[in-house]
Amino acid sequence: MTPVLEIKNLKTYFAMGDKTARAVDNISLPVYKNKTTALVGESGSGKTVTALSILRLLPETAFHPEGKILFKQQNLLKLPYSRLRHVRGKEIAIIFQEPMTALNPVFTVGYQIKETLCAHRPVKNSLARKLILETMREVGLPEPEKQYDSYPHQLSGGMKQRIMIATAIINEPELIIADEPTTALDVTIQAQILYLLKRLKQQHHTSVLYISHDIGVVAETADFIAIMYGGQIMEYAPAQEIIRHPAHPYTRALFASLPYMNKGRRRLNTIPGKVAPAHKYKKGCRFADRCKYKKDICCRENPAAEPVDNTETHLSACFFTREINRGKI
Amino acid sequence: MSSSIQIKNLKVFYPVRKGILRRIKGYIKAVNQVTLMIEPGQTYSLVGESGCGKSSLGKALVGLAPFTDGDFFIYNVDHKKLLHTNRRRAAAKIQMIFQDPYGSLNPKLKIGDSVAEGASVNNPGLTDRDLRRIAATYLEKVGLYAEDYDKYPFEFSGGQRQRIGIARALAARPDIIICDEVVSALDASVQASILNLLLDLQDEFKLTYIFISHDLSVVRFISHQISIMYLGEIVESGPAAAVLNKPAHPYTKSLLQAVPDPDAQQSKEYQPLAGDVPSPLNLPSGCFFAGRCPYKKEKCRAHPELSGLDNQHTVRCHFPFIHES
Repeated sequence: MTPVLEIKNLKTYFAMGDKTARAVDNISLPVYKNKTTALVGESGSGKTVTALSILRLLPETAFHPEGKILFKQQNLLKLPYSRLRHVRGKEIAIIFQEPMTALNPVFTVGYQIKETLCAHRPVKNSLARKLILETMREVGLPEPEKQYDSYPHQLSGGMKQRIMIATAIINEPELIIADEPTTALDVTIQAQILYLLKRLKQQHHTSVLYISHDIGVVAETADFIAIMYGGQIMEYAPAQEIIRHPAHPYTRALFASLPYMNKGRRRLNTIPGKVAPAHKYKKGCRFADRCKYKKDICCRENPAAEPVDNTETHLSACFFTREINRGKI
Repeated sequence: MSSSIQIKNLKVFYPVRKGILRRIKGYIKAVNQVTLMIEPGQTYSLVGESGCGKSSLGKALVGLAPFTDGDFFIYNVDHKKLLHTNRRRAAAKIQMIFQDPYGSLNPKLKIGDSVAEGASVNNPGLTDRDLRRIAATYLEKVGLYAEDYDKYPFEFSGGQRQRIGIARALAARPDIIICDEVVSALDASVQASILNLLLDLQDEFKLTYIFISHDLSVVRFISHQISIMYLGEIVESGPAAAVLNKPAHPYTKSLLQAVPDPDAQQSKEYQPLAGDVPSPLNLPSGCFFAGRCPYKKEKCRAHPELSGLDNQHTVRCHFPFIHES
């Protein structure tokens, strides 16, 4: 498998007064071709900042990210803006969480899709319209001719998300970054959108970086899952492997706190303490303060991601993964 | 079976006004003819997608939405009348916790005062010192500290604010608490601790919860009874295990299928439900769900009534799924 995108030692820091918030702190992650890689974490874990770093859409308070983001033999972090413009929306497209705020309320949705199309391909108006209507049909919008001239407020949440997806795929990008694309939607609409994304991925051989807080959604869509906590990746493995055999103490505690897994009315497991804010990270493992297996070394050194077993595909950033999983601690 | 908390034929209609004279041109029927029989000490869940009327129902019960028609009895006391005649006493019986822990607390009020306000509902004669002491105990009950009394909402995280909301509701010593999407805005690990807290408080204070949610995994966890709502009506109702394990209505079935489940195999192939929920402003004729239903037949042009599958499980469908026992 070849990665289409490779994140290497990415660090994205923010200025917070005289302090530095280390929102993303040294993460490495491959996104393989034709596969869906999911970044999962709770709010504040740095997953959205990672996505924004890839296309350099960060707010002004952010320092320029360190590390490398390799895409087609070029480092996106070093790319001049003139070249980056050809990547954004053409080779890498992004779908945002809230279709309500991501669409411009004063332009028709057809115009907004056309804007993305024509920024990268000089096509005649008639051809553009034809392409857009085809794409709108492909993402399952009923009566595209009618919808073309409607404004965002005339569409439901699910329809708007379909418009966002149409905008993302119109230039047939190699990589789609989907940042919580279904969080704002109802369950049945969420199921429709997930189904659509899956179909599009198969038909267009697109790679997807999927960002979500919902393990259930990710279990159904992803091929690989990376669990983020405190700006770092705690565990990375093929999706079914991580769901069946979570290895890192954080992943295990997180899964145990989900009501899915518990059938019936029993108390849920909770993780003591709370997530430290990004400007107050201490030395050592980010999860140490809340971890029930904590040892001295956990507060001194930051564990690197190590293979959990002999397959080399399942990585966990914990000093004691193997011992914990064998039940020795 | 007569339950102690009875909501009968509840209607919540919002008038639609048009024109320069703001004349009423129609109604949005947010909740239409809903009947709930709730056992005290249990959790009754209302499930549905946005716009199905579940929040309107909850708000009507505390007097925050128009109680257009119907009856509401708590232990044979006419609560609907009480809402009109004595809001204070009504509030002491039934309280509500809201979805958004950021929007539901007054940012300029100390959180202790917010909680004390809840306590004063039940005991108008209390001195400030007593109220402060009572508020502090409730803050401790929900896992905060008595010293937090003088802090302001912005000093707390989302999960802590939700705890404050719970303390405020609890301080009025109500029989019923309406929980409107109380964990939807929270992260998974925080959600777990709030759900645990709700369970503990239910045991300690013998509370009855009306739990409003769209999240079936949470509902499965907390409920005794469940009603599934669609466009202002109950489409299926019964004990939690019956509704979730033996869904009889096609809508319930597709809701359950739509829930992403980490336990499920990735190869789970199903056709998601087509289309959107119709607007409650012009309701479809016949069965409300027919437009999206994969099993639609000729008979579905007639509006189905709620009918019993057995003495507890009811469904509003001409062709319900029958499960072999």
